[in-house]
Amino acid sequence: MIPLLTEISENLQSGKAKIVKELVQQALDAGIPVKQILDEGLLSGMNIIGKKFKNNEVFVPEVLVAARAMNHGVAVLKPHLVDANVQAIGRVCIGTVQGDLHDIGKNLVKMMMEGKGIEVIDLGTDVPPATFIDTAREQGCQIICLSALLTTTMGMMKEVVDAAEKAGLRDQVKIMVGGAPVTDAFCEQIGADAYTPDAASAADRAVELLSAS
Amino acid sequence: MPKLIIWQNGKRHDARFEGAPVLSQVLAQAGLALPQPCGGRGRCGKCRVEAQGEISPSNAFEQKAGSRLSCQLMLRGDAEVFLPASQEMAQIQLEGEGSAGALSPMPGHIGAAVDIGTTTLGLKLYDLKTGEHLASAAAVNPQTAVAADVMGRIGAALEGGQQRLQRLVEDALQGLLHQALKEAKQPETALETLVIAGNTTMLYLLTGKNPLTLSRAPFEADHLFGVWEDLQGRRAYLPPCMNAFVGADITCAVLASGMCERGDTALLADVGTNGEIALWKDGVLHVASTAAGPAFEGAGIHMGSGSVPGAIDSVWVEEGMIRAHTIGSAKPIGMCGSGLIDAIAALLDLGLVEDTGATDEDRLYLAEGVYLIPQDIRHVQLAKAAIAAGIRTLMYEAKVRPEDITRLYLAGGFGSHLDIKSAARIGLIPRELADKVSVIGNASLTGAARLLLDTHQLDALTRIAQRSRHVSLGGNPWFNEAYMEEMLFPGLD
Repeated sequence: MIPLLTEISENLQSGKAKIVKELVQQALDAGIPVKQILDEGLLSGMNIIGKKFKNNEVFVPEVLVAARAMNHGVAVLKPHLVDANVQAIGRVCIGTVQGDLHDIGKNLVKMMMEGKGIEVIDLGTDVPPATFIDTAREQGCQIICLSALLTTTMGMMKEVVDAAEKAGLRDQVKIMVGGAPVTDAFCEQIGADAYTPDAASAADRAVELLSAS
Repeated sequence: MPKLIIWQNGKRHDARFEGAPVLSQVLAQAGLALPQPCGGRGRCGKCRVEAQGEISPSNAFEQKAGSRLSCQLMLRGDAEVFLPASQEMAQIQLEGEGSAGALSPMPGHIGAAVDIGTTTLGLKLYDLKTGEHLASAAAVNPQTAVAADVMGRIGAALEGGQQRLQRLVEDALQGLLHQALKEAKQPETALETLVIAGNTTMLYLLTGKNPLTLSRAPFEADHLFGVWEDLQGRRAYLPPCMNAFVGADITCAVLASGMCERGDTALLADVGTNGEIALWKDGVLHVASTAAGPAFEGAGIHMGSGSVPGAIDSVWVEEGMIRAHTIGSAKPIGMCGSGLIDAIAALLDLGLVEDTGATDEDRLYLAEGVYLIPQDIRHVQLAKAAIAAGIRTLMYEAKVRPEDITRLYLAGGFGSHLDIKSAARIGLIPRELADKVSVIGNASLTGAARLLLDTHQLDALTRIAQRSRHVSLGGNPWFNEAYMEEMLFPGLD
């Protein structure tokens, strides 16, 4: 492991955005391949935060400040990522279901998935079923991720599953569900593919689903 | 029926109950509910009592709290319970700025201005002829025993608790009115007119309206009040709410501040479990609400406490050392919200906490036996980010820079006890506005009293509600960005 990349990972974990930005530039200047800076510096740091989050060693603020530092680092890398032809490992769309405006949980999942090198299309909150289906079809998403924080809105998840069925998309796209009131049993009952209890597990599960497809 | 003897402030109250209820329920029915910032889930340790008799053994939550808790203890037969002295009642903020004076009062001999808060109820009695303030009364909102926050109460109402919630607040209000009339030596019949402010949910629950529209997007309230209603034989004016989450309490607070009477740009914030923010610019009142959570009330804070003797209420740095003051200069036992914010400001200044919120210490001592743990700092980060990002988002939407704002009005009990410099140091309020703060106390109650004593103010009130424009923060990309940025404490990064 290149010491500079370890340093990027460590500073990212403690949320030091400015230092991460400088170190990423240094790494580029030193000729370290873009993909390696991304994987072994930024994504590895975010992965460690994800694991700690899963184990209740760190909490939402740490994840957010680390993700903010990652965004700063990625912004420096971005122009070079295209040149180096670095590809995402898959594409998903994510949103909070219709009738629900909560998005902190959804945003955490998005950050964790991006930390795994997945391209995430964020549809925001209060998203109608048709928007999930249209996006998945038009953008070729392999997974649709649904979030709901209210017992009054989690029923909308079933409507998305049904809409995917009706649109003939069901065997091309996996559907993941999450949010405080959601359970494994509910996931099974509505015919979704996967439920995870936290953002880091959601990212792990998405990687599994993508590599299986 | 088994009997419960309740002791508080040396006074005995007797209550009867059926079955094996949880103690907090019987206390609420007796009008003696203790605050439950965690919603009665045994987490916050704020409803400590001493008890004896036929009661359940201590459960895990109570063992952790090192005391019996009214939200956990189950009554099994005759019992006796000792409640902490009700200092917290006296701490409920009733004072606001400015006196009203009766100009064109509402009809009747005696009138009451009432503020129904999510956590506390407060009221003031006035002589409508002279404008004289006769008596005050305050209590914990007994609905807190059902759920601590607004969303929890909406949920409980929709699951069949609507009537119970209505009865709880009605009974508590009647009790307070009775108490205040007695203090003013006035008969019940003298009181004819009330002005009752409160957030939108509180007014729904008081008037027994189904809060379904408050429970789901697009969150368009089907009642915004601004109407007269009959309340147990008395005429009550319910001031207009601006939307589902910015209620009549804020309309009244804005009225009390007078900010909409002037041409300059001004900001008003009521910081609590829910933060409400209003920004007046060019004839439009941009309003938003943001969920800060109960950290500022001490819930979820390892050694958090209410404003009781021994609670650290102020912290500062002297010659590189942390110094702390406790309420009543008593032996330190914990910290209240204002002490918590001071403490973090001091720890930032000393470099013991980084701007990312990280710290190398497991315990950050403020005084002998009282300390912060790293997780406390994380709780404060979440709470302050919600408020600060809300302010930033409103400023962005209204195209206002900090230097354009001539005044920041801080309304509500928490705002009154806060050290403004510390609040700016941790980034709860924009640093640029620290010198422009006016603390206006329980401005909702001040506004309600003003309406009671001067009916001309009704026009101004209606204008405020009409000119409001709701800025939704949920799902707002600018807010999300600001929320992440405001998670950090102001620093060099």
